[in-house]
Amino acid sequence: MAWKRWRIEDVIHYPGSQEVEEYVYTPGLHGLEAAKAFKEGRILGMKCGDGVYVPPKTYCPDGREGELVEVKGPWRVVTYTIVYEDFYGNKLEEPQVLALIKPDDADHGGLIHIVKVDPERIHLGMEVKPHWKPPEKREGKITDIEYFEPA
Amino acid sequence: MKTNIFVKDRVAVVGAGLTLFRRRHLETPRELAWEAARQALESAGLTFDDIDCVVTGTAPDAFDGVHFNGEYIADSGGFGKPTVRVYVGGGTGVFVPVAAWWHAASGLCNTVLAVAEEKMSPAHPHPQGVFAYIWDPILERPLGPNLIWIFAMEMRRYMYKCNTTKETIALVSVKNKRNALDHPAAQAAANITVEDVLNSELLVWPVNRLDISPVSDGAAAVILARENEARRITDSPVWVEGIGFTLDNTHWYNRELAFPRYVNYAARMAYKMAGIERPWREIDVAEPYDPFDYKELHHIEGLMLARPCEAPKLLEEGWFDRSGELPTSPSGGLLGVGNPIAAAGLMKVAEIFWQLRYEAGPRQVKKPVHYGLAQAWGDLMQVGTVIVLSN
Repeated sequence: MAWKRWRIEDVIHYPGSQEVEEYVYTPGLHGLEAAKAFKEGRILGMKCGDGVYVPPKTYCPDGREGELVEVKGPWRVVTYTIVYEDFYGNKLEEPQVLALIKPDDADHGGLIHIVKVDPERIHLGMEVKPHWKPPEKREGKITDIEYFEPA
Repeated sequence: MKTNIFVKDRVAVVGAGLTLFRRRHLETPRELAWEAARQALESAGLTFDDIDCVVTGTAPDAFDGVHFNGEYIADSGGFGKPTVRVYVGGGTGVFVPVAAWWHAASGLCNTVLAVAEEKMSPAHPHPQGVFAYIWDPILERPLGPNLIWIFAMEMRRYMYKCNTTKETIALVSVKNKRNALDHPAAQAAANITVEDVLNSELLVWPVNRLDISPVSDGAAAVILARENEARRITDSPVWVEGIGFTLDNTHWYNRELAFPRYVNYAARMAYKMAGIERPWREIDVAEPYDPFDYKELHHIEGLMLARPCEAPKLLEEGWFDRSGELPTSPSGGLLGVGNPIAAAGLMKVAEIFWQLRYEAGPRQVKKPVHYGLAQAWGDLMQVGTVIVLSN
């Protein structure tokens, strides 16, 4: 098929790479609050004029500043996908389920995260809950939630 | 009713050019851009000396591996002239002629060369890696996302909301790859069946290999001119009737994924300017952006060429075939011709130009055509760009 043609072996080429190999990012104003909350095992959202957004943004879609609020769930699957290959086309040992998950007490969006569930069982509207790392291992990152699991 | 905006001049497309779309072209990015520009000028009977201004477009520099890539490819006739690069990710291809339009409509330039180029193949080990840097570094990157994920989730949501199946959606890939058999620049043209799509490698459920457009290198160019100039250049100018572009919020998961609001707003803007009130009847041929097969249906609905969730049913009836009521992607689209990002969007504009001049040869749609549109979408799944043309 077409994508099997024009491989690198077929052409004279000149390798190059960028000298910047890494970037470091800061969490941002509300992101810092959200990161602290992750350490405490809490998830924050932002109360805006048209409802609560998760995750919190620095500003609301209407351009105004919102108010940080805690969201507690229950969390539900809005949509999902099942990943069979990694970035480079290698087959994963086990398919991984990823989902967009929204808490019932928010109006918009939600978190993207891994759901630890049999791919056969996942469905839209499924109730799930976060599985946190033990407190001493949390770093203020989204990965402080190891995964979501069926509630 | 048309909007009462002040434009100094009507603007027409008077020429178009396109390189072959291939993976790993021998030509450098600037040579690709030059080749497309040269062809576009030739088709209009012009030379580089006849061009007043240049608008270039490419998606992330990281594909070509050259920073300031827009300026790098501006060699295609841009030096010594007012030249600007525009960039709205995947939407760039249609945004390039939009920007060229306002250069001419404002009276600033008589003739504008609009050229879009993308060479994705230099990025190694896979161009996919470039997309790793479009994600939120705090909340999303730690999960190791790849680009196909979001589309898989959006496709799943669309299937759920519209109660449609992978079998139906695969018909888009079948149609577009078949249409591309008639396109001399096509990279991924093929006569395939729905079973071929379903049996191709499963990447990220519900997305299989043949649901996706390929990695491509290529360039496209169009020439725009103010009315007086356009009428001097050609007897069959293709008028720019409306343009639209909209940005949605960065947090894609804050939206209803089943309906592309950003495309809808951009389309409404373009239709209002063009005086189009019932696009589903008034648009004769369309090139909606189709990097994934479900995306064409999604965008058809955003463009109001079908009601929400109606596109899959119309597709099954052959409504969008070249011989259908409203042919979509008669070129073969990104799925068939290929997807050198910015160039792919401009290829769609070029196709509508050829369709409206009845110059599309074996790709010419059956019905008579008066109005056509091309649309692209990009940035972090958040920008819609639309252009409406007439003959």
